[in-house]
Amino acid sequence: MIGHLVWKNALHRPLRTALGVLAVGVEVSLVLLIVGLTHGMLHDVAKRIEGVGADIMVQPPSASVFLAFSGAPMPEALGSRLAELAHVKAVAPVLLQLSSSGGLDIVYGIDPASFRAVSDGFFFLQGHGLEKPDDVLVDDWYARAKHLKAGDTLHLLGHNFHVAGVVGHGKGARVFVELHTLQQITGSPGKASLFFVKCDQRSSTNDVIGEIATLLPRYQIRPLQNYLSLMTQTTVPGLNTFVYSMIALAGAIGFLVIFLSMYTTIVERTRDIGVLKSLGASKGYIVKALLGETTLVCLGGIVVGIGMSYGGQFLLRDLFPTLTILITPGWILRAAALAIGAGLCGTSYPAWVASRKDPVEALAYS
Amino acid sequence: MEPIVKTEDLWKIYRSGKVDVAALRGVQCEVLPGEFIAVMGPSGCGKSTLLHVIGGLAQATRGRVLLDGNDLTRMSDAARTMLRRHKVGFVFQRFNLLPALDARGNIAIAQHIHGDGFDPHRFDTVTRLLGISDRLHHRPAELSGGEQQRVAIARAIINEPKILLADEPTGNLDTKSSESVLRMLRKLNQDLGQTVILITHNPEAASYAHRVLHMRDGQIVDGIPVD
Repeated sequence: MIGHLVWKNALHRPLRTALGVLAVGVEVSLVLLIVGLTHGMLHDVAKRIEGVGADIMVQPPSASVFLAFSGAPMPEALGSRLAELAHVKAVAPVLLQLSSSGGLDIVYGIDPASFRAVSDGFFFLQGHGLEKPDDVLVDDWYARAKHLKAGDTLHLLGHNFHVAGVVGHGKGARVFVELHTLQQITGSPGKASLFFVKCDQRSSTNDVIGEIATLLPRYQIRPLQNYLSLMTQTTVPGLNTFVYSMIALAGAIGFLVIFLSMYTTIVERTRDIGVLKSLGASKGYIVKALLGETTLVCLGGIVVGIGMSYGGQFLLRDLFPTLTILITPGWILRAAALAIGAGLCGTSYPAWVASRKDPVEALAYS
Repeated sequence: MEPIVKTEDLWKIYRSGKVDVAALRGVQCEVLPGEFIAVMGPSGCGKSTLLHVIGGLAQATRGRVLLDGNDLTRMSDAARTMLRRHKVGFVFQRFNLLPALDARGNIAIAQHIHGDGFDPHRFDTVTRLLGISDRLHHRPAELSGGEQQRVAIARAIINEPKILLADEPTGNLDTKSSESVLRMLRKLNQDLGQTVILITHNPEAASYAHRVLHMRDGQIVDGIPVD
């Protein structure tokens, strides 16, 4: 019966209930999209680095696991010393440059031959490899986002490049140009930001890492097999704070909307509360009825929020194909728990006020 | 026979700003089981306050109220709530039905709060007796005043309370509906032995009762049997 009362009360004021559901939906989708976007971007970058196919990545001391933050402080010639080490099959120098034309993208300056040796080459969907200094390769997601095809012109880093080919995604970056071209554009002749190292066999990886550590003490030497595990929120300065601030903001939205909605509700239903008390309803009964109504609104909001999140994901993917939004069951549960928790907290004070109303005054309310 | 309601030197004093206002001033009365009592008096004489105190909605300031042997003046708020649930039925002037529920829901919720669950036999008996069996799926806004008041009476008696307290139940009704509601109250009293205390301004309404108590300035000034 209390469920029936809760349901009927929710239906009695459909607009208010709908607004409550929508607000909780916004709260849930805010959490899922913010977290999904950060996790998705990290996951996407990590998968692409792993997808290069190399076994080891060498970066200068103090370099970040996030390649976009790296400069070009290593001499390219260091690559030949790495290539001389035992069990090293191939070494590919890569120069990184962040491009902000039409979005933030890392451009890889690569030597096609050595990059092919460590990565087993690109999978070409259109066109051919880098043959001329102004050639550029883009992956399929980037091509879709920028509406590019082989033969088109791409304005990048202040230069016009010729799109030589479109390749399958997952080889480190989404945009590749000749190493020497990028060195000239960035004023870093003979420099590289990192080296990808391919071992003769995967089991030799640790031995090679040891040799490189001896050769280049203090350098960042990372096996790429578990690169994904390095790319977490905690490794980006401030990202955790940002994510948790957004979650707190979402929770505050849910709390305030439910608080105001339920406070208005109990003022409006003052006489109803008096009637329930005259029938002998306990304080607990009244609190339970109001908490039940909040739970119903929150459950509706969670369903709407999940729908809005997947809708947002679909829309963002359509507008920005290079964005990755990762909505996971774990975060859906956490967002749902946040919504219910914030809602119940928001209702607790109005429910307490309602349960303590004087029945005679409540019945006289008009 | 033991009275179902007994008040002894009953006082109720309200604090209005810095002024104490005595709504009841030493009320003495007794109501026997099965009696139909009307309480009359001018506005502000304390009729409704007396009803609220007898029904456990308000706490007395001084004196004693015994309801079916329970001293309400010594009870906590929770205990009075429990007592209302099991022994008292209220009918109000403004019907006070829950607008979100239909007539059936308004009656059934009283059974739910009472705690014994839905009793379909009792429900059918009461709704048939009050002539609302065919109006049960209508919300209060879809019912006439007389129908709403009959639903409110059904809600009040569904749990077989020891006493039915009706606070000007015909105050918002036209003459025809008023007569219908008053006949219902008398029928409940005669057929089921339901004890009723009726607050009213209307001498015609009071004529349905066995006895009329007159109040003035917070006191019962006389108790006249109705012929």
